[in-house]
Amino acid sequence: MNRDFTSVTKFYDREGDFINYLVVENGITSQVPLKEGNTDYQAIQEWAKIEGNNIIDPGA
Amino acid sequence: MAITRIGNPAIADVRGVNFRNIIINGDMSISQRSTSASSITSSGYHALDRHRLAISSLGTWTISQSTDVPTGQGFGKSMKFDCTTADASPSAGDVMWVQHRIEGQNLQYLKKGTSSAEKTTLSFWVKSNKTGTYIAELEDTDNSRHIAKSYTISSSDTWEKKTITFDGDTTGTLTNDNNTSLESHLYLGAGTNYTSGTLATSWASNTDANRAVGQVNLADSTSNEWYVTGIQLEAGSQASDFELLPFDVNLKRCQRYFYTTYDVGTAPGTQSNDDVPQVFAPATNSYFGFIIYYSSPMRDAPTIVIYNPNTGATGSGTTDGNADKSMNTFKISEKMVHVAANNTSISSSASIKCHITASAEL
Repeated sequence: MNRDFTSVTKFYDREGDFINYLVVENGITSQVPLKEGNTDYQAIQEWAKIEGNNIIDPGA
Repeated sequence: MAITRIGNPAIADVRGVNFRNIIINGDMSISQRSTSASSITSSGYHALDRHRLAISSLGTWTISQSTDVPTGQGFGKSMKFDCTTADASPSAGDVMWVQHRIEGQNLQYLKKGTSSAEKTTLSFWVKSNKTGTYIAELEDTDNSRHIAKSYTISSSDTWEKKTITFDGDTTGTLTNDNNTSLESHLYLGAGTNYTSGTLATSWASNTDANRAVGQVNLADSTSNEWYVTGIQLEAGSQASDFELLPFDVNLKRCQRYFYTTYDVGTAPGTQSNDDVPQVFAPATNSYFGFIIYYSSPMRDAPTIVIYNPNTGATGSGTTDGNADKSMNTFKISEKMVHVAANNTSISSSASIKCHITASAEL
């Protein structure tokens, strides 16, 4: 039962460090920390393995 | 003065009398996200805290916090499932269950995976117009093992108390950390992928076909409803009386997994400036932010949703002049989040404000 994210985008802070994922799902925007114990972070890793799903990287 | 020990000796030797219920919010008193969520077709935490729906293509549902409770038991709330689109002929992989995920560090006293493994007893009150056989299951997610037992709803639309005892498992220790180690499952429907085998009434390696053998299909009619409250899972072979906790204790335990700055009783996304976190921002700044501390440390760094208090939209806050400002998080930890508007100038000194939710659910 994989999640159906509309988009997943890397979010960078002002120093150019990748710090969170910016996620849109069911019309709701959320920010997911880069922590392996976070179940949304886990779901993003599984979602990204599926062909056709891509994490957007706008760059720092 | 002599001190008299109270409670059930079968459980007192294992954990003691207090906090014996492994299930959090078993009395359904806490519902921070919403007291009613409709058009539900996907898995997730939709309404009541800590009780997750797992579903795959089996009808459409409204999940709500109900005041329909068993008489004289001390409960004020129950969880209600109302089928709004039926699926009378489930495909093989269709399935639906109510799930409760439990941290391994809270389960070490069960001594699972040792020769001293404790039995556990699950008890709950349930009511439905759909009578027949239902399945309750425990799953050890660390070791991919499970055990399941059936129960029967005998009388239509009548509250009944069910008690199920599971053997201890001498195989597979539970990891002592803050991640999921054990799940309880209450099935509400299942296709043949989950019903075609022999019910796993003893602990065994996971086999889907043995999970929900005999389970009725609650999704077969839009007339169907299912209520549950007083869910208690405890060590030992007997069910003790439900451990009713004060509201504030129950709320605090739920806030380890889900926190919101909205007032209790106000669903996230509601247009509300009540108790909204805010900071004064000088007009010359193009970057301003503030820190929101949760009510207590969360299980892990949570997922944050920022809500505009004026519109309920996500991803933005607002000034006290009602100008919407895109907002992001710049530090998320177990204790706090730093929210900020970046590269957004404001024309005059103002406060900027937003609500948040923080989810560290299992």
